[in-house]
Amino acid sequence: MGFFSVLGDFFQILKHTFRQVFKRPFTYFYPFEDREYPERTRGRHIHVRKSCTACAQCVRICPVVAIRMDKEDKKYEKDCALYFDYTRCVFCGLCVQACKFEALFHTPVVDMSEGDREDLIYGPEKIETLDREPLKWRGRRFR
Amino acid sequence: MSPDILEDAMELWFGPQHVSAHGWATKLTLVGDYVVECDPNAGYFHRSAEKVLEYKNFRQGALILERMCMLEAFLAEYPYVAAVEKIAEIEVPERAKVMRTIMMEMSRLHSIQFWWGQFNAELGFFTMALWPWVDREYSLDAFEELTGSRHTVSYSTPGGVKYDFTEKSMKQLNRALDRFEDRLPKFRDMQMGSPTFRARTENIGLYDVKQGLKWGLSGPPMKACGIPMDLRKDDPDPNLAYDMVDWEVPITENPEHPGQSDALDRMEQRFAEAETACEIIKQLIPQIPEGPIIDPKARGKANRLPEGEAYARVEGTRGITTLWLKTQDKAQTAYRAKIRGPCIASYYALKDLVPGSKFADFIVIFGSLDPYPGWWDR
Repeated sequence: MGFFSVLGDFFQILKHTFRQVFKRPFTYFYPFEDREYPERTRGRHIHVRKSCTACAQCVRICPVVAIRMDKEDKKYEKDCALYFDYTRCVFCGLCVQACKFEALFHTPVVDMSEGDREDLIYGPEKIETLDREPLKWRGRRFR
Repeated sequence: MSPDILEDAMELWFGPQHVSAHGWATKLTLVGDYVVECDPNAGYFHRSAEKVLEYKNFRQGALILERMCMLEAFLAEYPYVAAVEKIAEIEVPERAKVMRTIMMEMSRLHSIQFWWGQFNAELGFFTMALWPWVDREYSLDAFEELTGSRHTVSYSTPGGVKYDFTEKSMKQLNRALDRFEDRLPKFRDMQMGSPTFRARTENIGLYDVKQGLKWGLSGPPMKACGIPMDLRKDDPDPNLAYDMVDWEVPITENPEHPGQSDALDRMEQRFAEAETACEIIKQLIPQIPEGPIIDPKARGKANRLPEGEAYARVEGTRGITTLWLKTQDKAQTAYRAKIRGPCIASYYALKDLVPGSKFADFIVIFGSLDPYPGWWDR
């Protein structure tokens, strides 16, 4: 190994180092920024009560018994209230496929950690609304 | 073995807390630096999957199977789906067959990429652990774009597949393949050219075809001995599209010890497997036919199955994965399901394979067989 080849390697390393200086970091400044999730991401659900017919197909297909329904709680003519237990849910997507009335969807919201286990059981108020716009700040980089 | 030697013997539990022992424990008897006895213990990863399958209906069952081995989720869930299709006599559309095959080969590629990094990490060659894992991220991106999940894909269902290819998911798939094919020769040179790696794997964990058959090995550990045994060729599944592709069973023959394989041969065999997987996918992508991705009657047929039993198997990344399913008439759940994972054979092969080798070689032998605890504990 001659002097010039070592020098060549040295410049090669310097080139890589300088290139990295002017590049953006690969990491995200989580939780203030996050990567962009694909459209099909199986995150937390959203229940559209207006089109729900209380057919209970989602409750039947759920392999981990994470969904409970309350047929007495009616907002519209046929609908029902759904309770999602996210301590049990495995995000398999079977409930969304079982729904024939376009009343249940996945959202790209996947960060749903809570300090209390009870807070992970989403009642009708929580499952019908998104507390924040999921794509509002996704994929945006502040640096 | 004379009793004098065993006087100084020391019993050592490798696992279940060891970093490399993710869900398994092996009792080793050591004399100095040499292993004289190896006692593999199963049961640390038991999740009673077979019993759980008796309580899940036929559309939920595949979810349990894919959790057996999440590294090859597309391949792992297939035997259950195939068994249900056999009993219910469900026909699969052509498009679904090709899509299943593509994703199963992609799953094989992903599993090999993960194993490659894992094996090197166990050897302490950490550069070659992280580089394949970078490529693995691209495969995972392709899975996420197609199915919405990185590991628990939930893709195959009785009668077809759940998610159709989109333009973006196709792009991700091609990107992952191109990147891997582009970088494979360079990585291979780095891996095989490393004198430390060669010294640690050459002639380590040597066994011949006869021993392999006795232990019940299948897949890459057998193909590394030069035996072209592959279910994709020997017993092609009519619901998969391997007959549409022109390919050869990858084998590794080492002229230094013909009919035998060591850890290095098994590494080379995995490279050949990955190349074949890329080749199959590249040939299948232009051949995807138009049409539905699922049989519309399948959902009704899979709700209640007639009385019957079926045996389905698939050539997984680690060997042959089989499932036997028995149903009663008009049943909503299985009467009995029996899973036979490929790794139970390779795990108990350690009993004969390890004694006589050095303690440091134990993890090399174990890692080169590509074991996954989910497959032997079920």
